[in-house]
Amino acid sequence: MKPTFHVTDLAGIQVRPSRLWTQSLSWVLFLVGIALYVHLSVARHQENPDDRVAPTAHQLYDGIKTAALQPAEEDDPLDPDATLWQQITHSMLWKDTLASSERFLIALALLIPAILLGLHMAIFPYFGAVFQRFVLFFDKIVALSLLPILFIAFGIEEWSKIMLMVIGVAPTLILDTYNIAKSVPREQIVKAFTLKSTNLDVAYRVVLKQVLPQIINSVRLNLKPLALFLFAGEMIASTDGLAYRIAIMRRHMGMDIILPYVLWVALLLFVMDALLRIANRRLHPWYQPL
Amino acid sequence: MVSAALRLEVAPAPVAAPVTRRTEIALRDVTVAYPAGREGMKTVLSGINLEIAAGEFVAILGETGCGKSTMLRLILGQEFPTSGAVDVDGKPVKRIDARCGYVPQKYSLFPDRTVLGNVMYGPENANSRFLGRFRPSYFRFRKALRKEAQGYLERMGLRPQDLNKYPHQLSGGMQQRVAIAQALLMKPPVLLMDEAFSALDPSTRSSLQEQLHIIWQDSRPTVVFVTHNTQEALMLGTRLILLGRHHEEHAQKSNVLLDMEVPTARLPFARRQHSPEFHELHEYVKQLAYKSSSMHRDGELTQSPNTEGSL
Repeated sequence: MKPTFHVTDLAGIQVRPSRLWTQSLSWVLFLVGIALYVHLSVARHQENPDDRVAPTAHQLYDGIKTAALQPAEEDDPLDPDATLWQQITHSMLWKDTLASSERFLIALALLIPAILLGLHMAIFPYFGAVFQRFVLFFDKIVALSLLPILFIAFGIEEWSKIMLMVIGVAPTLILDTYNIAKSVPREQIVKAFTLKSTNLDVAYRVVLKQVLPQIINSVRLNLKPLALFLFAGEMIASTDGLAYRIAIMRRHMGMDIILPYVLWVALLLFVMDALLRIANRRLHPWYQPL
Repeated sequence: MVSAALRLEVAPAPVAAPVTRRTEIALRDVTVAYPAGREGMKTVLSGINLEIAAGEFVAILGETGCGKSTMLRLILGQEFPTSGAVDVDGKPVKRIDARCGYVPQKYSLFPDRTVLGNVMYGPENANSRFLGRFRPSYFRFRKALRKEAQGYLERMGLRPQDLNKYPHQLSGGMQQRVAIAQALLMKPPVLLMDEAFSALDPSTRSSLQEQLHIIWQDSRPTVVFVTHNTQEALMLGTRLILLGRHHEEHAQKSNVLLDMEVPTARLPFARRQHSPEFHELHEYVKQLAYKSSSMHRDGELTQSPNTEGSL
């Protein structure tokens, strides 16, 4: 018979909460956060009805509506007869999301060579000899300290921000891929050569295929640093983008816009992470994480 | 013990006569030493001179650290001797290639491929490069290969429903069956097995031993089988090489304690281990190995370790 729940189980290791319990508990902190915020907001507005630090639910709703349906201040106003779809696609949030996503995805694509470099460093000893020490040193350079150099080299347009993201994340990704690829048992490589594999077969058809799920996990872990560098670039020099808008709104104390933007960025990253996780599981059904 | 030695001396009953057959593997004056920090170089193998004839089943036996896996890696081309030469199929070994099939103790299968995918990987590589995979003839070849691979797997005791499973869905024994099929489908002249059955339970182990013996009898590849299990070595091998640890104070001595043809190999496989000859031989080899390892522990090697032909 299944043991009945006892309050001491909450600190137990050997307990197995039911699916319902697990699902319910996973939402608890979200609810606590919302409740605390509402409490704080109400308290502040009772003290000062013009408070701008913690907007009320109604103010937040208005802020989301403005961001999602109205063009940015710097853009032309929209035709009053515009459809809902036109309102959305000309809105401030849409424009900023597209601008930031474009930078984010270009940087992500530019990180593919970093993954291949890490793979080659792990498999081809001469490659490793040339690059390993350099990448280890390069990894220690604080990427943000390179920002002035990047602005001089690439101007204050798109490429400086994209390169900041690439330079910031690439060394970690290279070294992570290197370590993951190195962990492939030597027996597998030996075996592949006895099965008439060429060097490239071993690199791409044996090692890369085996470590791809772990590399995707590493990319998932690097999504946040990537977003961090994107934000740093956009906050310093940009005319659009999610971080640019947050920086602009900070000057006006526009918390009714900042808060939805912060949550929107988190949601975008959460969805991207979830999509990568699901794709990883679907594409690599054989993968057994430790 | 004395009686076993005497009986075997009187009737050595060699199973194969290597002198009449082509030499498949040759190790000449092989020494392997590794840098060992302040101690300078640590010799693992020394004075190894071996000729293995085509079609022999050589079991290499020895305690942990005696260099048996090193010897296998030399034949494979994964390592190179500090001095001496290693030839396979009449050509020096310069790198790992398809002259040798390889079945390690673990990690023997590619985890991202199904059973069938693992077995077909080698011949697919051998017969077509990347662009060749778009030719119509490739699909015909693949169809025929699939049939052949299924045949090999069936022979190794796998059921049709196992063919699309991934390695992690198989037991250790099944994985090793697939690994053997994977190596054999390449039809290598030499099959190297490094403690291939060591991680298996006794019943799976004996069933795989029998299967390997049948396969060897059918197609007669040259097999070099590394094990630390005396019974396994005597059951499978037509020739037994017993290695002992290299002793620094006797640097000139060979690691080979015993190199003999296994007289019980002429007996039917199922009856082998029940014969009194087998038990006597088993005891003898065990004692010899024990003596060598205790001498190593005590640090005194008082007699020549090379007892070749003394049985």
